[in-house]
Amino acid sequence: MTASAVPAAGKATAVPKTAARRASRARRAAVAWLFLAPFALVFLVYTAIPTVAALALSLTDIRGADLRTPFAVDFTGVENYLRLFQDETFVRDILNTALFVAVGVPLTMGIGFTLALALNSGISRLRGVLRTVFFAPVVTNVVAVALIWQYAFHMDGTVNKLLGAVGFAGPNWLDDPNLAMPVVILLGVWRNFGIAMVLFLAGLQAVPRDVYEAAALDGAGRWRQLRYITLPLLLPTTLMVSVLLTVFYLQVFDEPYLLTGGGPLGSTESVALYTYRQFGAGEFGMSSAASFVTLALVTVVSVVQFRLLRSRT
Amino acid sequence: MPNISRRAALRLTAGLAAGSALPLTGCGRHDTAAAAGTAEKVDASPATGTLNVWAAQGDADVLGTVVKPFKSANPGLVVKTTLIPNAEYYTKLQAAIAAGKGPDVAQFFPESQAQFLDSSTLRPVPDGLVDPNSFFKSLWDAGVADDVAYTVPWYAYTYALVYRSDLAKKAGVEAPTTWAGMEPFLKALQGAGAGHALGADIGWDIFNGQDVAMYAWQAGGSLVTSAGKWNLNTPQMVDALTYNASFFTSGTADTSGPTFLDAQPYFVSGKTASMITGPWVIGQLDTAAKKSGWTASHVATAPLPAGASGSVSFSAGGTWGVLADSANADAAWKLVRYLAKPATQVAQYKAYSSLPAVISAWDDPAIKGQPLMAAFLAQLKNTRAFPQVSTWQQVATRLGKEMEAVAKGKETAAKAAANIQAYAESVGTGTKR
Repeated sequence: MTASAVPAAGKATAVPKTAARRASRARRAAVAWLFLAPFALVFLVYTAIPTVAALALSLTDIRGADLRTPFAVDFTGVENYLRLFQDETFVRDILNTALFVAVGVPLTMGIGFTLALALNSGISRLRGVLRTVFFAPVVTNVVAVALIWQYAFHMDGTVNKLLGAVGFAGPNWLDDPNLAMPVVILLGVWRNFGIAMVLFLAGLQAVPRDVYEAAALDGAGRWRQLRYITLPLLLPTTLMVSVLLTVFYLQVFDEPYLLTGGGPLGSTESVALYTYRQFGAGEFGMSSAASFVTLALVTVVSVVQFRLLRSRT
Repeated sequence: MPNISRRAALRLTAGLAAGSALPLTGCGRHDTAAAAGTAEKVDASPATGTLNVWAAQGDADVLGTVVKPFKSANPGLVVKTTLIPNAEYYTKLQAAIAAGKGPDVAQFFPESQAQFLDSSTLRPVPDGLVDPNSFFKSLWDAGVADDVAYTVPWYAYTYALVYRSDLAKKAGVEAPTTWAGMEPFLKALQGAGAGHALGADIGWDIFNGQDVAMYAWQAGGSLVTSAGKWNLNTPQMVDALTYNASFFTSGTADTSGPTFLDAQPYFVSGKTASMITGPWVIGQLDTAAKKSGWTASHVATAPLPAGASGSVSFSAGGTWGVLADSANADAAWKLVRYLAKPATQVAQYKAYSSLPAVISAWDDPAIKGQPLMAAFLAQLKNTRAFPQVSTWQQVATRLGKEMEAVAKGKETAAKAAANIQAYAESVGTGTKR
């Protein structure tokens, strides 16, 4: 056997091994694609294609009447986006949405966190019942709830009757542009604090008890334990809850739509409601553009939140 | 207004995916070819084949019963009726038409059907199928575009003044016949014990927009010029907005309500004493009062008080059209012809209280014997159709919003009229921006 024969022989045995490995990898890939295919198909049909289509629509002047001849619309570039920001209504709705986020997110998180703390620390016997009670608004039909709220905050509704019983003349909550928004935000908070509470509760229960015990031995009181143990260890949960709620409030639709219809005088109209109205009016181009502005807002705010909070975790 | 669900919106967007790709390659908008108006011949032979019929839930709920005699007379025909929730109806229909999967026959609403009046969507009504003069004129006109009729009226309604006759009698007043008489009448009703005299619609939506359009007609205005341009910033529109706001500023109506669901309970309890509303209310008040015969002894109706140009209202209801893609147009037209017969429309009235669009059907004792309907018949004879442009719904919705600002004193009527005109010009009339 020559010296050169060794590598040649080695090469001769390596080829089938590589081929077999490749075949095995291909088989595994095929199986993976097979499992992935149903989801990929659903994703493609219901998410990817509509998203691309919506982006395409946002760059055209397509309207309701064009449905008969969808291939004959004009490409108008960013005109719809420019029209959006020249539309006083849209600008007002962006500001309304910002208010939903600015007030709704901290309030929902605050209430959710406080209740989670309470449920985590004491009243263990009632924990299950209370958790269910507080989570109930999340799973309750929002249409029914909105109807009840509408009657509760009606001029002759329960809230004003209660105020009347203690000597106050209740205002016209849902017909006053300054009061309607707080009521709508309150409904959003009421519907969502249960989610925040459950997530915070899960986060709290994951914090090891011995950390608290060690801190207690070192003389740390409840407040110091909260400040230096609970809050830092809950930062990942806080990040997740804040992003979830921000995305929710940026897309808030049900509450203003069902409770006030966006009124009075447009004071509770959100960007999502604007998008919906544009679509209903047959302004498909404008509606799609508005939905992409929402997407951009959600993306920017989420990235900022991730950056801010992740730097501390 | 036909609202759409978010899910429906997403589905429609998905459906448009393919359609939206090609235009981006730079194709321009094409003008729709003028409707040919060529007449199809529809003979008297029995209809055969299969017929898909789409209608909105509501008046069409009893369609199965009403078309039974037609089915019996046409044993070779299968009629498949699909009822769609009212709020999603136009969205689903639009999507189906875009996808080329529409029905043979579809129901439309004369107050909002303009976007469909095109030969690429609907077939022109064959000459001689029905007598156009047998219908209330504005209902027929609502289906005509470029001198071609595309829809055949089915049922009709309009608004009239419905008020508490007992309170009016107590106050010693009669229904006003002019705008000027409205406020004293309402104040008198309040004096007789009503909380607020007028249960005004406070949705501030397309329906309010339709109200103010009606007032603008009463004031002598027109919504579009003879050249087809929007004509909303006019003294008549200012008068209309001011007239509507006067109900609230005078204290005879309340911006707080009643809201939609409260309207009838408020009326029955005396919290309000009048409504500007449609004929369906008459059939529902006994239920709201929980007392049979309450309506007959407590309610009266009258045509709307007249402005400078008379007591004009709008025409609304239902119509039928045959889609351009229908593979069984002959049978489709035969069904539409059947639905337009006076006897069929009376049967529809008996089954669902849908008032006939054929004038002669109102002579049937079943309707003529209803004294509270007389005002609606008188009013239906003096109605107009809303502008036959596809952006009317958008403009009417904006009108509703502007009405709210005027009614609440946040804006002058003149500014609101200017805003509406600017908005209407920005959306155009739906053909080209």
